[in-house]
Amino acid sequence: MSLAHMLLLTVAWPLAMAALVAGTLAWRHGRALIEQRSSGRYVVPPGIAGDWPYRWRVALWASAPLPALGVALALPEASLTLDWWLLGGEWRLDGTRRALLGFTALLWALAGGYAHGYLGGKARRARHGDPDAERDLQAFVLLWPLTLAGNLMLIVAEDIASFYTGFAIMTFAAYGLVVNAGSREAYRGGRAYLIMAILGEGMILAGLLWAAASAETLTLTGLREGLAVAPQANAMAALLWLGFGVKAGVIGLHVWLPLAHPVAPTPASAVLSGAMIKAGLLGWWQTLPLGLTALTGLGRVMMIAGLIAAFGAALYGVTQRHPKAVLAYSSVSQMGMMTTLVGLALIAPSLWPMLAPALVLFAVHHGLNKGALFLGVGITEHPPRLPGWLLWLLLALPALSLAGGLASGLMAKWVLKAGLYDAGWSWLVTLLTWAALGTSLLMARTLWCQAHAWREARRHGAAPAPLSMTLAWALCALLAAAVPWWLTLPEAPAGAVQATDLPPWGELPGLLWPVMLGAVVTAALVVACHLEPRLHTRISRAERLPPGDLWPLYVHLASSLSGPLRRGVARLSNAQETAQDLAAGCGRHAMAWLMALQRWEAWLRRWAVPLMVGLVGVLWLALAG
Amino acid sequence: MNDNPGLLLVTLAASLLVAPLIFLLPERAWLARTTLNLGAALLKLGLVTLMVAGLARGDSYAFGFTVVEGVSFQLRADPLGIMFAGLSSLLWLFTTLYAIGYLEGSPNRKRFFGFFSLCVASTLGIALAGNLFTFMLFYELLTLSTYPLVVHRGTPKALAAGATYLRYTVSGGVLLLIAVVALHVLAGEVNFGQREVLADLGPEHHAWLIGIFVLLMLGLGVKAALVPLHGWLPQAMVAPAPVSALLHAVAVVKAGAFGIVRVVYDVYGIALSYELGLLTGLAIAASFTILYGSLRALAQVDIKRRLAFSTVSQVSYIMLGISLFGPMGTIAGLAHLLHQGLMKVTLFFCAGNYAEELGIHRIDELDGVGRRMPGTSLAFTLGALGMIGIPPLVGFLSKWYLGMGAIQAGMSWVIAVLVASSLLNAAYFLPILYRLWFKPGPLEGVGTWPEERRLGRLETSAWLLWPALATAAFSLLAGVFAGLPFSPLSWASLIATQEYLP
Repeated sequence: MSLAHMLLLTVAWPLAMAALVAGTLAWRHGRALIEQRSSGRYVVPPGIAGDWPYRWRVALWASAPLPALGVALALPEASLTLDWWLLGGEWRLDGTRRALLGFTALLWALAGGYAHGYLGGKARRARHGDPDAERDLQAFVLLWPLTLAGNLMLIVAEDIASFYTGFAIMTFAAYGLVVNAGSREAYRGGRAYLIMAILGEGMILAGLLWAAASAETLTLTGLREGLAVAPQANAMAALLWLGFGVKAGVIGLHVWLPLAHPVAPTPASAVLSGAMIKAGLLGWWQTLPLGLTALTGLGRVMMIAGLIAAFGAALYGVTQRHPKAVLAYSSVSQMGMMTTLVGLALIAPSLWPMLAPALVLFAVHHGLNKGALFLGVGITEHPPRLPGWLLWLLLALPALSLAGGLASGLMAKWVLKAGLYDAGWSWLVTLLTWAALGTSLLMARTLWCQAHAWREARRHGAAPAPLSMTLAWALCALLAAAVPWWLTLPEAPAGAVQATDLPPWGELPGLLWPVMLGAVVTAALVVACHLEPRLHTRISRAERLPPGDLWPLYVHLASSLSGPLRRGVARLSNAQETAQDLAAGCGRHAMAWLMALQRWEAWLRRWAVPLMVGLVGVLWLALAG
Repeated sequence: MNDNPGLLLVTLAASLLVAPLIFLLPERAWLARTTLNLGAALLKLGLVTLMVAGLARGDSYAFGFTVVEGVSFQLRADPLGIMFAGLSSLLWLFTTLYAIGYLEGSPNRKRFFGFFSLCVASTLGIALAGNLFTFMLFYELLTLSTYPLVVHRGTPKALAAGATYLRYTVSGGVLLLIAVVALHVLAGEVNFGQREVLADLGPEHHAWLIGIFVLLMLGLGVKAALVPLHGWLPQAMVAPAPVSALLHAVAVVKAGAFGIVRVVYDVYGIALSYELGLLTGLAIAASFTILYGSLRALAQVDIKRRLAFSTVSQVSYIMLGISLFGPMGTIAGLAHLLHQGLMKVTLFFCAGNYAEELGIHRIDELDGVGRRMPGTSLAFTLGALGMIGIPPLVGFLSKWYLGMGAIQAGMSWVIAVLVASSLLNAAYFLPILYRLWFKPGPLEGVGTWPEERRLGRLETSAWLLWPALATAAFSLLAGVFAGLPFSPLSWASLIATQEYLP
C-alpha cells in the first residue's frame, strides 16, 4: 500500500457503499422470502428504512465522497498503475484533476448531506410502510454512490478505458436519479436524458476508438498527442466534441438539460448540473489536442456554437417558470462560454497555458455556485427558520457570484478578461461580457421565481427544511463564493493573473456593469409590471414556452425517419422468409415426386409378370414375323 | 516430445461415455443421473484446466490414427482449441445445473440429458479436432444430437422448428462435405496449423481456393447464423431454455463460428486469406449480419426471439474480428467467442427464469419484475449492458479491440458499424431494463403475472437462480480483471501473439 493507493480508495469507497446498500437489500429480501415461505404468496419484503441504526447508516452512506475530498486536499501529486484492471489502469492526480476532484467531492458531500434532509419525509413514510416511498428511497440510496463512483473515476483516470468506464457508469446510474420521483414528467425527462446520453456515448466511443487506434495508445495523454498529428484530426475531434458535448450541453444537444434537471430530486439536480456536466468539459480537456496544435475549423465551429448557447440559452431561459429550468438554461449558457474558450484554445494553441487555469477556475466556480443555487430551490420551497435577510443573502450570494458580481465569479471573470485582453481577443471579451448580462438576467429570474415559491410556501405553511438541508446549502453557498482561496488550483504562468489576485479598483466598473445593468433592467421590469398590468400579461404569455425547446422537433424527426427504416427491414425479412418457404416448397415437391415414383414402382410390381409376358409375346411376334 | 494422448481421450470420454450411461439409467433415477451429469461436468472442467496449465507450461497433447490412406482422425489440444473447450466445459457445468432445475418434474428427462451430454461431447470434439475431417465428424454429430433437444417438447411448433433446423444444417453439412473433399483433392490432407500447404499452391489454384473458401463459409455460416443463412435460429427458440442457452452460447452457433476461425487461421492462414481478398468479403457479410440482426431484434416482442436475433448479430462480431487483418482483430474475434458465450448464456438463463417462475414470455409482461426477481433481473441487466458494450463488462473489451483492429486493418468504416450496432443494442435492451426496474408491475398493483409459481425458497428455484448469477458475475469479472493472466482477453492475446502472427 502506497499513498497512491488512496486514489483507488476514492473510487472504491463509494462503490463499497453501493455494494453495502445492495447487499443489505438482498439480505433483507432473501430473509423475508424465507419467512414468507409458509404463506405461499409473494409479498414485497420490507426494505432498508427500518434496519440497523438509522443514523449510523446515513453517516456511513454520506461518507462516500469523503476519501476523494481528503485526497484532493491532502495527497501530493500521485499516479497509480493497475495492471489487472480492464486494459491496464492508470490513475493520476495532477493540478487540474485535483481541482476538479476537490470541488466534485465537496459538492457530492454537501448534496449528500442535503439529500438526508430532503428525503427525510420519504424515509419516514417508508418506515411506516409506504411501498412507493420505500421504492424511490431504495433506488436513490443505491444509485447515488454508484453515480458518484463513476464521476470520481473519470476524473482520476488517465487510461482511456477507465475514463470511459467512469463516464458510462455515471451516465447510466444517473438515469435512476433523474426519474426517481416516478412522475410522468420525470420519465419524460429521463427519456430525453437517456436517449441523448446514448447518442453521446456512441459518438464518444467512435471518437475514442478511432483516435486511440490511430495513435496506438491506451492513455489520454497519448490520445491527445496522437490527435495533434493525426491526418483526420478534425473529424475525430469533432466526434469527441459532440459526444462529450451532450453532457456539457452544447447547443442542439442540450435539450435534455432543461427537461431532466427540473424533474430530478433537488440534490440530484445539483450534482447533475454542478459536477456531472463538468465531465463533458473534462472529456474535451482530456481528449482534444488543446495547446498542442491548432484545429482552426473545429475551433471556429465550437466558438460559434458556444456563443449561440451563451446568448440563446439566456434568452430562452428567462421565459421559464420553474426555477430549476431557468438554472438548467443558465448551465447551458455558462457551458456555452466554456465551449467558446475551448474553441479559442483550438484556434490559438499558444493561449492554452493562460486559458487552462482560468478555465479550471471558471468550471469549479460554476460547478459549486450552480450546486448552491439548485440546493437553494429546495430551501425556498421549505423555508427554514432563518431571519429573512440572512436567507435571501445566502440565496443571492451564489446568484451574484455566478453573474460575476463578486467573490469567485468576479475572480474568474477577471482572470479571463485580463488574459484575453493581453492576447488581443478584446472582441471576445466584449461578447462574453454581454453574455454575462444574460447570466445576470437569468439569475434575477431565478431569484424572482424563488421569491414566488417562497411566498407560496409561507402562505401554505410548508414544513421548514431540516437542519441538514439548511446547513448543507449554506455551506455550499459560502464555500462556493470562497473557492479560489481554499482549493488549490493549477497555477497560471508567471506574469499572468493568478486566481487569488484581486482585480484593481480601476477595473471594477468594466467587470461589474453587466450585473449592474441586469439589476437595473430587472428592477425596471418589476416596477413597470406593477404600474402597467397589461405588460405583466404580455410577459406571462412568453412564459408559455416549454422547457426542452427543440426536443419535440427531434422526436418528430426521429419518428418520421424510423418508419421507412422499419419498412425496409420488414421487406428484407419477408424476402428471407419467402426464400425459406420456397425452399421448403421445393422440398415438398421433390417429396411428392418421390412418392409418385413409389406408386409407379408398386404399379410396376403388380403388373410386372403380365408386362414381362406381354413384352416377351411382343418380341416373339416381332421375331417370328 | 510427449504427446499425452491419455488426458485428451479421457477428457473427450468424460462427456462422450456419460451419454450411454444416462440412456441406461431408468427415468426415475434422478439422483444417479444428476450425480453422473455433474460429476462428468466437473471432471471435464478439471481436465481442461489441467490442459490449460499444461499448455502454459509448454506441454502438448495430441492423438491420431489413420482411417484410410490419406485421411486420418486427429485430436490435438492447441491454445485455440483449448480456449473453446474451456468455454464449453465451464458453461456446460452451469447449463447442466440449470437444466436440472428447469426440467424438474417434466417427462423425458433421460432422453434430454443423454442427448445433452452427446451434444457437449461433440462440442468438445470440435474444439479438439486436429484436421477438417475430424472437425466435420463432430460437427455432424452435433447437428444430429441437437435435433432431439430442439424438438424436446414434442409440440407441432417444436417439430416444425426441428424440421427447419435439420433442413438448414444438413444442407450446410453437405456443402461443408463437398468443400472438404474438394480441398482434399486439391491439396491432400491438411492438418490444422499446416498453413504452408495451401500457401505453397501456385497462383493457378487460387480460383479453386476462393471457391472452396466460399463453400466452406456457406457450410459453416449456417450454424454461425450468417444472414441469410440464419433462418433456423429464431425458430429454434421453442426449445427449452437450457437448450437455447447451450445453442447460442456454446454449442451450435459457436461451433459454426469456431469452424470459420479454424478455416481462416489454421487451414488457409490469415496471410493467404488476406492475399486472396477473402477477408473483405467476410467483413462485409459479418457487418451486414450485425446490423440486420440488431434491426430485426428491435421489432421482436418475444423475449427469446429478441435474444435470438441478438445472437445473430453478436456472433458475427467474431467473424468481423477475424476478418480484420492484424493482431488486434484476432484478439477481438477470439475474445468475443468467450465473451459472447458468457453474456448470452446469462441472458437465456434469465429468460428461462422469467418463463418458469412467472410464466413471462413477452417483453411487455416484464413490467416491475425487478422487484419480484431482483437476482435474475440483476443478472439480466449485467448481460444486457455487456451486450451494449458498457464497460467494465466484457462486451466493451470486444468492442474496443474490434475498433482497434479495424483501424489497424485500414477499415475505419467498421467503427461506424460498431457504433450503430451499439446504439441498436441499447435500443432493444434498455427498454427491457426500463420495464424490469422502473415500471410499476403486479407488486405495485398493476396487472398480474401470467402464471406465477413459487419454485423455491428464494425468488425462484436455487438451481435456476445461481447459474444465472454465476455467469453474470463471470461476465463482469472477466471484464474488470481482464488484465490478469488466464482471463479470456489475456488468453486470446496469447493465441494471437504466439500462434497466428506471421
